[in-house]
Amino acid sequence: MSNEFTADTLNGTIKEQYVSNISMIVTLVSFTMLFATMFLGYALYRLTSETWPPMGMESVSLGLPILSTVIIALSSISFCMYERSYAKSDAQSSWLWATSAFGTLFLVSQLMLWSSLQASGLYASSGIFGSIIYAFTWVHSAHILMGLGALAWLGLRIKRKKAILMTVKNVGKFWHFLGIVWLIMFITIFAI
Amino acid sequence: MASFEQHMHPKPTTFISKYIISYDHKVIGKQFLWYGILGLGIGGMMALLIRWTLAFPGEAFPILGHFLFPETNGVVPPDVYAMLFTMHGTIMIFYAITPILIGAFGNFCIPLMIGARDMVFPTLNMLSFHFAVLSFVLLLAGLFTPLGAAAGGWTSYPTLSTLVGSPGIGQTLWTLAIFVLGVSSTMGAINYITTIIVLRAPGMGYFDMPLTVWGLWLTAILNAIFLPVLGAGCLLLIFDRTFGTQFFLAGAAATNGVGDPVLFQHVFWIFGHPEVYILILPAWGMVSDFLSFFARKPAFGAKATALAMTSITILSTLVYGHHMFTTQMSPLLTQSFMTLTMTISIPSAIFFANWLGTIWKGSIRFTSPMLFSLGVVFVFGLGGLTGLYLGTVTTDIYLHDTYFVVGHFHYTMAASVLLGGFAAIYFWMPKMFGVMMNETWAKIHFWGTMLGLNIVFFGMMLVGYAGMHRRLYNPFVYEFLEKTIPINTWITWGALIMGASQIIFVISFIYAVFFEKEKAGDNPWEVGTLEWTIPSPAPHYNFDKIPVVKCGPHELGNPSLTGDRDFQYQTEELVQA
Ligand SMILES: [Cu+2]
Repeated sequence: MSNEFTADTLNGTIKEQYVSNISMIVTLVSFTMLFATMFLGYALYRLTSETWPPMGMESVSLGLPILSTVIIALSSISFCMYERSYAKSDAQSSWLWATSAFGTLFLVSQLMLWSSLQASGLYASSGIFGSIIYAFTWVHSAHILMGLGALAWLGLRIKRKKAILMTVKNVGKFWHFLGIVWLIMFITIFAI
Repeated sequence: MASFEQHMHPKPTTFISKYIISYDHKVIGKQFLWYGILGLGIGGMMALLIRWTLAFPGEAFPILGHFLFPETNGVVPPDVYAMLFTMHGTIMIFYAITPILIGAFGNFCIPLMIGARDMVFPTLNMLSFHFAVLSFVLLLAGLFTPLGAAAGGWTSYPTLSTLVGSPGIGQTLWTLAIFVLGVSSTMGAINYITTIIVLRAPGMGYFDMPLTVWGLWLTAILNAIFLPVLGAGCLLLIFDRTFGTQFFLAGAAATNGVGDPVLFQHVFWIFGHPEVYILILPAWGMVSDFLSFFARKPAFGAKATALAMTSITILSTLVYGHHMFTTQMSPLLTQSFMTLTMTISIPSAIFFANWLGTIWKGSIRFTSPMLFSLGVVFVFGLGGLTGLYLGTVTTDIYLHDTYFVVGHFHYTMAASVLLGGFAAIYFWMPKMFGVMMNETWAKIHFWGTMLGLNIVFFGMMLVGYAGMHRRLYNPFVYEFLEKTIPINTWITWGALIMGASQIIFVISFIYAVFFEKEKAGDNPWEVGTLEWTIPSPAPHYNFDKIPVVKCGPHELGNPSLTGDRDFQYQTEELVQA
């Protein structure tokens, strides 16, 4: 997005960072509100229910969610490494590839989660418990897809030498944001 | 501030690059304006169908009726009636008022008034319009599905909006359309917020911005924060309708494991109350500017007005519960929401007093934008005051879901915002299209609209107070409402007057845009904000040289001014005695 500016002066570059930073913060506020609303709904269901999971349903076994958590953590770490190497103007694109690979693996782990849930008889239509697990993971995975798109876009920009450090940082912010959302989901929906 | 050059796209030459895929904020503004006027037309026709049914129940709608409803010999059938009031509300709010005030004038005014060449993200801006078009197509497609369009009211409460209440695909399309529109408006909001922060001309502090820009900025902030809330609600509703989740199915989670329809109401109104201010804030800002421009006086307490608008913005996020007093909310909560709602009166009174202070002892020029602005002052006063009865628990329990509510929100949203939109159209016409609209017809348009809307909306409050429910197909089957038939007929005549006045507007507008030969001057209204320092219509990339701002936007009638002008441009040093 910041390509709308020609950043040939020093001043210009500072300004450009400022622009992309402000817009990224606003964007993240919007995404936060989207997930916050869903968590609010979940909190209400959970607080008004005497037992959780309701209706004598069984909790989801933690194996696959833990796997997803580890994978997404690894992807965030590799992006941090990439960012660090980029800041030292010694960009190591293998870290970017690693981030994307872990992101894709995360989606695979989610697919496995869905099929294992279905195998154990928990569907989206199995009451509010199933609804919550599926809706949260669907929406989050859709955002991971967007995140992967952003990573690909970033890769292209870097190849064409059009990216600046702030572009890298902003894509990073979005990616880490998705990691944090997953962590909250893992704790509130699966772990407790 | 502006220490860098924006990237310039070459001047477009083909029709498509000029008018369809345009990066130019002025063209995108015009696109939104036409889009909004189209929405007004469709929503207005629906309003007339509704009004006809209420005034003459069981009678065929003239001319169009037999063509639209052949099975019932031209009478609007009950199920269609529900679709009509649903689509009327949805279209007027999201596809008429929003695109005109925020889409059209947000895009057009922000860069011009802060001295920028374009929005900071032109591509995002273009996408925002294309998403809006997609959304309108999705919404209207619902009308052509087998079971018809959405019919659960513009609020789409479950269970009216789940598969139980609306089995047709129309409701799914409605929900999807609102989601897509939310994405579009959020993209716009990100653009507006960033543009105003980073692209203000050198020398322009926040309080040197015209109040129009203040209104649009606060609106954009509310949009960015609260549209995603509605988006989440829409997503869950779509999941419920298409993938069988059970968020909004009635029942208690603990006993039978399904969801809660009232949750949607919470989500809807957490968004919905700020939405009221999303719609009205740009109009408030514009009116604050116009009153000063045409009273030839500085805006009284401009800083206080800006701060009052800001505090209303903040307060508006805390009061949504007043829409839900009848949902068995705990009395502790209803009292808190009531108190917070009443608190909004304080900043409202401040800027209302500032409006009166601005026109007090001014040398008022009764031009069309001024007439419409004074109209806003009047109808917003009425709408705001009647809101107090709905914000008070005791009176709301009686008035809830009656036509009193309908009258109230039409005074605040339909009347105030629409009149503000018209004021803006008449005012910026020369800068947008390089021509003026006919003043005489503009005044006829104003008085016709004013007469019509007051008959309609005041009448609505009367029948509402008498107990008429807002969504009944034929309320007169109840004995106690039979006596309201004459008032309802009056309301319908008022609606026809209002509708006829809009035909005058549309003809006058189209004539001015396409056939008017006489070019407007660069500064026909004699005001000093930045957009009037450049030629009319505004040229490609607006400013040859980025202007340097030296004074505020309302420097009119300064007694120390010498020369033949009674105003000064924002680029001029403030004259001191
Ligand atoms: Cu409200």
